[in-house]
Amino acid sequence: MEELLEKIAHCVEYGKINLASPYPPDMKGQEGADELTKKAIESGVNPDDVLKKGLVVGMQKIGVKFRENKVFVPQVLMSAKAMSTAMVHLKPFFQSGDVKRKGVFVIGTVSGDLHDIGKNLVAMMVEGSGFEVVDLGTDVNSVKFIEAVKNHPGCFVGLSALLTTTMVNMEKIVSDIKQAVPGTKVLIGGAPVNNEFCEKINADFYSSDPQGAVEFLNKEVA
Amino acid sequence: MNKKQLFDLLCSGKMPADRTLFRPILMHFAARFGGTTYGKFASDYKTLVRCNLEAMEHFDLDLVGLISDPYRETSAFGAKVRFPDEAVPICEEIIVNTIDDVHNLKRPDVYKAARTSDRIKGAELFQKELKGEVPVIGWIEGPLAEACDLAGLSSMLMNLMADPDFCNFLMDKCVVTTKDFAKAQIDAGCDVIGMGDAICSQIDAATYDTYVRNRHKEIVDYIHEIGGKVKLHICGNITHLLPSLAFVKPDILDIDYQVDPQEAYEIMGPDVIRCGNISPLLIDAKDADSIFNASKQLVQNELGRKFILSGGCEITVNTKHENLMAMRKASIF
Repeated sequence: MEELLEKIAHCVEYGKINLASPYPPDMKGQEGADELTKKAIESGVNPDDVLKKGLVVGMQKIGVKFRENKVFVPQVLMSAKAMSTAMVHLKPFFQSGDVKRKGVFVIGTVSGDLHDIGKNLVAMMVEGSGFEVVDLGTDVNSVKFIEAVKNHPGCFVGLSALLTTTMVNMEKIVSDIKQAVPGTKVLIGGAPVNNEFCEKINADFYSSDPQGAVEFLNKEVA
Repeated sequence: MNKKQLFDLLCSGKMPADRTLFRPILMHFAARFGGTTYGKFASDYKTLVRCNLEAMEHFDLDLVGLISDPYRETSAFGAKVRFPDEAVPICEEIIVNTIDDVHNLKRPDVYKAARTSDRIKGAELFQKELKGEVPVIGWIEGPLAEACDLAGLSSMLMNLMADPDFCNFLMDKCVVTTKDFAKAQIDAGCDVIGMGDAICSQIDAATYDTYVRNRHKEIVDYIHEIGGKVKLHICGNITHLLPSLAFVKPDILDIDYQVDPQEAYEIMGPDVIRCGNISPLLIDAKDADSIFNASKQLVQNELGRKFILSGGCEITVNTKHENLMAMRKASIF
């Protein structure tokens, strides 16, 4: 069992989606996260172990590599794709309660900004660490964020912006969320923002990389 | 001496020691400064030119530019773009989803397509207004950025890993249009062509070398052949790409605030003009004295080298005017 879980983690870390995927070249023709996860479930491995000792481990490893600039966005996207493909096999166990989520994370790119790459990376990494992710998409205003927060009491919120032009919209959204649902923890990220900006707009946490957001959330629910 | 002559001196390494050229990237800021909306600025060349000229006069900028948004070429390829009043133009559709879509992409006539034609007219108007006395920077999308605009960012980046044929085919088509658009802007009077390929900062050096480096080089060489200079803009941290960019050798390399100007100088060499690199966030948030001091320090560090003072990337819309004035003041001794 341990060997199978290690293989799943390896596939996620290196972005090996399935047998048909040509990436990475040195794993061409091998089974990927898709087949191995299915195999693990069918052979009776606890689905919670598949998630926590397989998929999450792989995502953590790629998250750390990303933070250390050892890999870049395309490699992380491949890992996330491998993970999300494998997660399909775990979906029934989430619904039945056999596998429990750590919490809910609502995320969106702020109004005026249609870029989704940073948001997607964070969403994938957070989901890969065991949270339920509610992805509101791009160009999301305060009203939509507040509605989602009210629908998921106790959730965390992530705001993303890629542009200097749109990061200014974060301030209003943070303020509106905190006014509507006091105590909501709001994380911000994106190329133009930094810790100083985070403090200025009264957000709770800034991270320059997705793994930082994952670590913050894990501490919050520990 | 006019600003064009000053720029020529900078390019030839004979810039007077009492002045560093100053050219921040202005889009939404310029629109607001000119009393109009970003939507109008991006969709009407007369408005774009007027706003840039007003900003140039007020802040004593040494170059002017035609940059507005990423979707000029994407629109020419057939994508629908709309213009919210106070936000970046929005491309409403991904028009390349399969390799068949790439096959079906027609080479646009940049003089006929509305948005590319609008920018070409902007170049002509700048020339008419400035009479060749101020350098004009045209703008094109780099091949990876354009491919991402056409095929979707995440899809394109994953295809870089998994589908080289798709990527090479699409990017080759992008290069053709990029060159067409660059030539049209040079013919209309632009002195410099800015090439924006921001997404490159998010890929590793090996992937850049595999897909982008030679295409960038081809575009740079082509623009040189037709008499223009090239300003390469890749926002974000490009430290890992600098050795490859030294091979591309643009005339001007924008460096964002995450890049050490000294390291960029050492790797790019003394011939390449570096342009940057005060953080736009800093320029937005700090007071004029802080911006003056940061700019002054940077300018002094760069004395005797080819350098243009700028923000690391676009100036934010709400930046205080006195902060840009402080940058200008810091760049004149």
